[in-house]
Order: sequence, then C-alpha cells, then structure tokens
Amino acid sequence: MFLISSYRVGKFALQNFWRNFWLSVITITMLMLTLLTVNIIVVLNYVTDRAIQAVEDRVEVSVYFYATSPQTAVDNAVAYLRSISQVRNVQVITADEALTQFKDRHAGDEVITKSLEEIGNNPFGPSLVVKAKQVSDFDLILEALENPQFRDQIREKDFSNYQDIVARIKDTTQRIRMFGLALSGVFLFIAILIVFNTVRMSLFIHREEIGIMKLVGASNGFVRSPFLLEMILLSLVALVATLAIVYPSLAALEPKFGYYFGGETIGLIDYFEKNGWEIFGLQFVGLAALTLISTGLAMRKYLKV
Amino acid sequence: MISLKHVSKIYPPNVVGVEAISLHIKPGEFVSIVGQSGTGKSTLAKLLFAEERPTRGTIEIGGWDITNIRDHEVPLLRRQIGVVFQDFKLLQKKTVYENIAFALQVSGTPAKRIRDVVPLVLNIVNLSDKTDRYPGQLSGGEAQRVAIARSLVHQPKVLVADEPTGNLDTLNAGEILDLLKKINEFGTTVVLVTHDRDIVNRLKRRVITLDGGKIVSDVEEGRYRL
Ligand SMILES: Nc1ncnc2c1ncn2[C@@H]1O[C@H](COP(=O)(O)OP(=O)(O)O)[C@@H](O)[C@H]1O
Ligand SMILES: [Mg+2]
Repeated sequence: MFLISSYRVGKFALQNFWRNFWLSVITITMLMLTLLTVNIIVVLNYVTDRAIQAVEDRVEVSVYFYATSPQTAVDNAVAYLRSISQVRNVQVITADEALTQFKDRHAGDEVITKSLEEIGNNPFGPSLVVKAKQVSDFDLILEALENPQFRDQIREKDFSNYQDIVARIKDTTQRIRMFGLALSGVFLFIAILIVFNTVRMSLFIHREEIGIMKLVGASNGFVRSPFLLEMILLSLVALVATLAIVYPSLAALEPKFGYYFGGETIGLIDYFEKNGWEIFGLQFVGLAALTLISTGLAMRKYLKV
Repeated sequence: MISLKHVSKIYPPNVVGVEAISLHIKPGEFVSIVGQSGTGKSTLAKLLFAEERPTRGTIEIGGWDITNIRDHEVPLLRRQIGVVFQDFKLLQKKTVYENIAFALQVSGTPAKRIRDVVPLVLNIVNLSDKTDRYPGQLSGGEAQRVAIARSLVHQPKVLVADEPTGNLDTLNAGEILDLLKKINEFGTTVVLVTHDRDIVNRLKRRVITLDGGKIVSDVEEGRYRL
C-alpha cells in the first residue's frame, strides 16, 4: 500500500513538474540563486581563513644576539620562548650558520670576501627566528624578549607588523560576509515567496483533479504529497544545477587565488571535495525544509480539505 | 442506513441551506429528493458525503456519526458513499478507463485489483467498448455512465446522485435512471436529487419534497407534486 502510493505520488509529482515547466524553471532559478550566494559565502570564508593563515605563517620576529653573547644566554632565551604556549616555533641560527649563509649570499663579491678575511674571526652572533601562533600573540612575544635573563645580550629585534594587515583582511571580509548574508537572506525570502506562489498556481491548475480526488476518497496525504514531493524535486534540481556551476567556478578560481597566495594551491577544490557531503547536504536539507514549509503554508491557505 | 435528526445548515452569515431536517432512510431504499431550485437539495446531499458540516443536529450513516467527522476520516466516508453530479466531474485528459482507475489509484488500491475492478464496473454501465475514449468523445449519457461506474469502484453502501440527469435529454435521462435502479437492486441505497418531474413519476418510489430548506412532504411511492 505504501509502496504503491509512493510510486503514484511520485508519478503525479513528476507530471506536475513537467506541466508547469516554466513555473518550475523560475522556481529552480531562484532556489539556485539562493544556493549560489550561500556557496559564495562558504568560499569566501574558506579563502579568508586561508589568507589570514598565510599572513600568520609569515609573522615572525628575528632576534639577533651579539657575537660576544654567551651561549647560555641564547639557550635560556630559546628555552624560555619555547615554554610560551603562544609560540609556535623557534628556529636557532648559530653564528657559524649565519656566516656560511652570508658567504653563500655574497660568493661573487670580492670586496666582501676580502673584508671578511681581514676581520679574521666570525663577526656574526647567533640569531633566533620566532613564529607566533596568531598575530595577536605578537606583542606578548616581544614583551617576553624583555626578560632580563637575556635582554642585554640582544643586539637587535627585527619584525614586521602584520597585525594591521590581518585586521584589515578581517574587517573587509566581515563586511563582505554581512553583505553576502543579507543578500542570501533577501534571495531566500524571494525564493520562499516564489515557492509559495508556484504551489498556489499548481493547486489552482489542478483544482479540478484535486476536487475529484477528494470526492472519490483520496486521503489528504495522497492529495498533498505530490506537491511536497514536487518541491523537494525542485530543490534537488536546484542543488545539482548549483553544483554544476560551483565546481567549474572553483576550478577556474583556484589558480587565481593561488597567484595571490604566492603560487601555492590553497586547496579550495580539495576543501569542497572533502566536505562536499556536509556542505551540500546541509544546503539541501535547509532548502528542502524551507520549500516544504512554504509549500505547507500555501496548501494551508489554498487547499481546502 | 441514513439518519438525520434536526439537521440545519446555515451558510455564513445567515443563509439557510436546510433547516430542521429529520429523516430516516433504510438500507436498500431508493429515495428521491425533489424541490425547486435553491431549496436546499444539494446542501442535503453535501451533508451526506461530508462536503459540508451541519450547523445543528446530527447525521449518522451506517451507524457512523459523521456530524463532526474529522478531516482525515472524510476519505474513509467517501469510499463508502459513491457520488455523482450533474456535470460528471470527469478529467478531460484521461480516458474512460483512466478516469475510473484514478479513483482506485488515489486510494492506494493495488494495480492488480484495479485491472480487475475497472472492467467490472464498465460492464455494469455497459461501456466496455469505449474504455479508450476521452470524455470529450462521449455523449452526455455516456459521460454520466462513466461517472456512475467510477462511483461504484469501492462498492459503496450508498450512492448519492445530485441532478445526474440535469444535463441530459429524456432518452439519456431514462437510461441513467434505469442504471440507478439496477444499482439499487444490487443492494445499494440510492439518494437521487432531482427536479425532473417525469423521472420521479416513473420511479414510483419514496419522494421527499423540500421547500425553503424544510421537508414539506415525505411519501412512499410518491409523485412529483408542486
Ligand atoms: N456554499 C454556499 N455558501 C452560501 N450559500 C450557499 C452555499 N451553497 C448553497 N447556498 C445557499 O443555500 C441555499 C440552498 O442551496 P442548494 O442546496 O444549492 O439548493 P438546490 O440544490 O436545491 O438548488 C440557497 O439559497 C443557496 O444560495
Ligand atoms: Mg442543487
């Protein structure tokens, strides 16, 4: 009984879909627009997360010690910095490594090579490259370097302040995100109205059939289900169409973003492929719920039982 | 079979459909409801298959009190009461066969049973040779016979026909009447709403006359008066 009914309900739903072809097309288009804005927000979220992460990756303080600094002062500083939870990584460059690096860099330059030979011993001191976990931890690390245990052994601290950049990225994306949310809200509202109207038209077109169904004893569920199913079908088509737009767009965007991120892939497609079921599953569930609610409202208003 | 007690139907704001109707119809009876236009005949019919609910009074059908029948119970009632109308109410885009099968499909009848029942009812109304026609290709009498066939698919205990001959000429009307009599002989209770004098006089069965929403006469083997 249930299976027979499901099959027939499905058939009626499909018939509705084709008979109101243009109405279906308009509804699908609106649902698609809504989904597209939602996906733009998803992409935006991901890209800005990556952008902030990329900047944060580069946030580092170079700490140069005097050539005369005792090794214990350097060791102390390293140990202390590593004990701070906000510090992600401390890289130690010894005096010898600094000299080698310097020589490599100026291998062709006779003047420099000569003057180095004149000095005789290694003029470089050891140095540290400290990376923070987040840009906001930056101040704390600078403060930590004021520790009297090794403060006086530090010749120079070199850092670039990325805090402003990150703040600006966050600020801009926050604004875009709000705009995107507002836009998808508007689209969603229009989509609900259109679904409502589609169902209303559909009920009107089928009023004779519905009337006869009821006279001959069709259950209310049987009368309603085709319309609900039709809307689920429209949601599904809208989702598939959105996917057909989103994936090629991602493929086209990926290298462009890569360019801004210094040539490396940002894994946008990867992200969508790994989380596709969640991202699009959620969108489908949300969309189906909304279309069903607005279908229900239309039926409550226009389908007298 | 059918029992109405002090039934009134007032359409909002205060139009009287029927007023203080009390009547009892026994199983297997053939009852005609007659009266001029606007006297509440259709309202009475609609109360029987729960298209309208009474404002006052109680209605029982086959021991089932349908006075305040719930929405989800209405389909069950409709499967026990066949209904036929003046305008046939056939789907123009479906064939004769499909129109009848439709009634079974929407109530979840298995396909096998549909294949058995449809030819059966088509045979009763004598239309076995026109199964693939569309309603537009049928005469009024034939269309009404399709509608009657459809009303029989659930083997109803009661058949309510609201002016089934209203759109037909005398010859076709006579055929429909014979068909209703035949169905009644099978044991189905028939309630026939009509204002066709000839038909009522030919029937020689119980006649209930309405006027202004009230029963003004109820006689066994009656004739159409007024
Ligand atoms: N849905 C309705 N809403 C308001 N008034 C109605 C409705 N249906 C019928 N009526 C009124 O109820 C009265 C009886 O109508 P009806 O039962 O259709 O009479 P009949 O079938 O005998 O011609 C009429 O006055 C009619 O105008
Ligand atoms: Mg009438």
